[in-house]
Amino acid sequence: MTRLLGSAHIETLAREESVRGVLVRTVIKQSEFADEQELQLLEDALQLLLKRFQAMDGEAS
Amino acid sequence: MILRSIELESFGRFRGYTVEFRRGLNLVIGPNEAGKSTIAEAVPAVLFGTDHLERFKPWGRNVCSASLFFEGRGHTVEVKRNLLTDEVELVEKDDLYHVRSQFSGNAPFRGRSASCREYRELLEKLIGVADERLFRATYFFGHHPQSWSSDELALKLRTLVSGTAEADYAEILDTLLEEHFQLTRSNPWGRDKQRDREYETVCQQLSEQGDDEGAVPIFVEIDNPASDDSQVALEEEISALRDELDFERQEYEKGQRYIERFRQQADINKETEVNKEKVEPSAKVEPVKEESSGTNKTLADRLTAAGLPPSLPPQLPELLSNAAEIRQELAALQQPFSILLGREKKIPQVPWMVIGCLLVLLVALAAVAFWQPFFKTPLLTAVGVCSVALLAWVSWRQINRNKILEQCRKERGLLEQKKGVSQQRQAELSERCDALGLPSSAVDLVRLQKLVMTHRLLLDQYWSATKSDDPGVVTGAEVVDREPSSQDATEPVVEKDLLKDDEAAEELRQLEVLLADFAANLQEKEARLEELQVQLTSGLHSPETTAEVATDVASQQGPLVQEIAVKSTMSPLQRRKNDLEDRIVVLRKSVNLLADAVDEFSRSHLVTLNAEAGKMFGKITGGRYAEIKLDENMAPSIQVDGRRWAPVDHFSRGTVDAIYLALRMALAKVRDDGRSLPLMLDDPFVHLDQKRLAKTLNLVDLASADGQLILFSHNLDLGKRAARERWHVVPLDGDVVNTTPDEGGEHAGQLHLL
Repeated sequence: MTRLLGSAHIETLAREESVRGVLVRTVIKQSEFADEQELQLLEDALQLLLKRFQAMDGEAS
Repeated sequence: MILRSIELESFGRFRGYTVEFRRGLNLVIGPNEAGKSTIAEAVPAVLFGTDHLERFKPWGRNVCSASLFFEGRGHTVEVKRNLLTDEVELVEKDDLYHVRSQFSGNAPFRGRSASCREYRELLEKLIGVADERLFRATYFFGHHPQSWSSDELALKLRTLVSGTAEADYAEILDTLLEEHFQLTRSNPWGRDKQRDREYETVCQQLSEQGDDEGAVPIFVEIDNPASDDSQVALEEEISALRDELDFERQEYEKGQRYIERFRQQADINKETEVNKEKVEPSAKVEPVKEESSGTNKTLADRLTAAGLPPSLPPQLPELLSNAAEIRQELAALQQPFSILLGREKKIPQVPWMVIGCLLVLLVALAAVAFWQPFFKTPLLTAVGVCSVALLAWVSWRQINRNKILEQCRKERGLLEQKKGVSQQRQAELSERCDALGLPSSAVDLVRLQKLVMTHRLLLDQYWSATKSDDPGVVTGAEVVDREPSSQDATEPVVEKDLLKDDEAAEELRQLEVLLADFAANLQEKEARLEELQVQLTSGLHSPETTAEVATDVASQQGPLVQEIAVKSTMSPLQRRKNDLEDRIVVLRKSVNLLADAVDEFSRSHLVTLNAEAGKMFGKITGGRYAEIKLDENMAPSIQVDGRRWAPVDHFSRGTVDAIYLALRMALAKVRDDGRSLPLMLDDPFVHLDQKRLAKTLNLVDLASADGQLILFSHNLDLGKRAARERWHVVPLDGDVVNTTPDEGGEHAGQLHLL
């Protein structure tokens, strides 16, 4: 199964000096100690937040 | 971004006057009333408009306009405003003079129109500031510098410091919270909401149906007219085969466990014999433990990979079964409660209002009967009889009501008692779960139960391996070490019958062959079952049957497929409940993650700003104060004596000016994102003593090296220093200026002084 965490896109976002970057870094850090269930939850939450960020950027542009 | 020039077409005392600036430190010098502050004020007036038009409108003229020219990395921005009409023209061009963005329209100081919003958004994008107060608090330092401690300004400043639109993140948080509270009334961040939401309604409906437990299998309709005999026969065969398979799978698992255990014992025996001959008695158990712990680790890894938490205690199945039992009890109690509530609602009320009206009517009748001359006695008697009858009926009805209510109360008490016992058991169970490091919430336990059911075999292996590793349990090695007389009769059979190596190996081989045959047989039956199910599916296309087959097929496959299959066999309500639970958990996690991220991001930038401002403030005060701290409202405090923090209001005007100057310079340095405006200082040093003035000037000089700083002053000493330091000087002589001065190259300003 393809994971969102660990993808190139997420790694790029993690390097950002922005709230989004901090968020992605936090999720990656938490995922290191997470079990399967927690990992799934983290991915779902990250996906939801990234969609909202995208919507925000879309509105701004 | 630097301010290249200000063109004052008709502004204050200036007409057709252009002031040019350069990168670095610019000094606008002139006596009082020369127009220094007018030039300084032209910047916010053009950018944001003004409330003090009379201050800038030339006397006797009907024109008041000015333009600003900014130059940034690879682009220029020109803003022109007619202050009388608030008509603004903004044009952004790239290096090749191509227009990148532009605005032309009305944008008054306090405007709220769409064009005004559009203009401010463009300003925000280009220069990072779209608010006059924020501009004055950050890029402008006059005689009365704008302080930072105000709620609205603090939010904007935090946004500016972190370089992000914090308000947007607050909006995302709001939308997440709104979505959460549309789904459930439960509030993990505060008090629960009053009104039940969809999740609570679904739970209530489920509990009324007595359907609160897990998946509810959907059965094929027995009297389905479409199902013919062959399909019924097929179903019967599938059912029988399924039962057979279930039994055989259990047997197979037992066999696997037995062989695993046997192998472990044989290994232990071998190790023990070797150790007996070669090593000290104290070291005999170690290799066994190492190997056993190695097995444990592998199993634990596999369990963790399967989604189970690490180090699961052997009491887990018992705990989960207890939890399920308690949940069933609590769910079973919901129905009597609902029935009781319904009965209580159905108990007829005494119509006190009607009775009151009737009594008033009877009294009125009695009064009329009393005062009229005919049939007084019969009428009064009739009224009296009616009144007595009415009161008797009311009393009877009230007594009946009380009786039923009392009965309901007793039943409720009994139910409450039962519920209390269940809740007590639940609390004890939660405590046990907490003590064992397991999740204690019902949702987590149900999930854990599903996982345990899926990976039961693996768990059994893990626990049996853990048991053999446990020093409290008798191991094979210890059995060997013991005297024959000390052997316990309760030890496992395998441990009792310690075999010789060859015999043990032979027996193990035989067992493995048997198990392999058994597994092959099992696979054949599973294939047969699958085949039958496919036949049945092709015969019946109803969604229920498909779902059932999907479950069975999925049971042969991975946990994800199983989960999907289990979901497909749930009732719609149960499915909705599970979806809601999943969504709520995701929303909560998202809210927490985003709030933490925004907080951490702001904090990290605020720390940087504090450090930078502290450094600058330390330089201005000659090291007397070296630490500045901004609280969450951006109100600064100064560290005194190296330990105590004092709010800025406790200090003299000179120190306050110094701190706000340091903060503005620090902000300009921290926020170097290519959108920062130049810092404009309009006679900022009037409250500073000579010593601090000298240090501040050094600092200002240093700070301007990376960008642009425009200093307005009447101090001639500064003019001398400007000549020495080669600052760009714009002289104002105090007379009314009507024409553009000779732009004699970049040394024009200094030549004027010379």
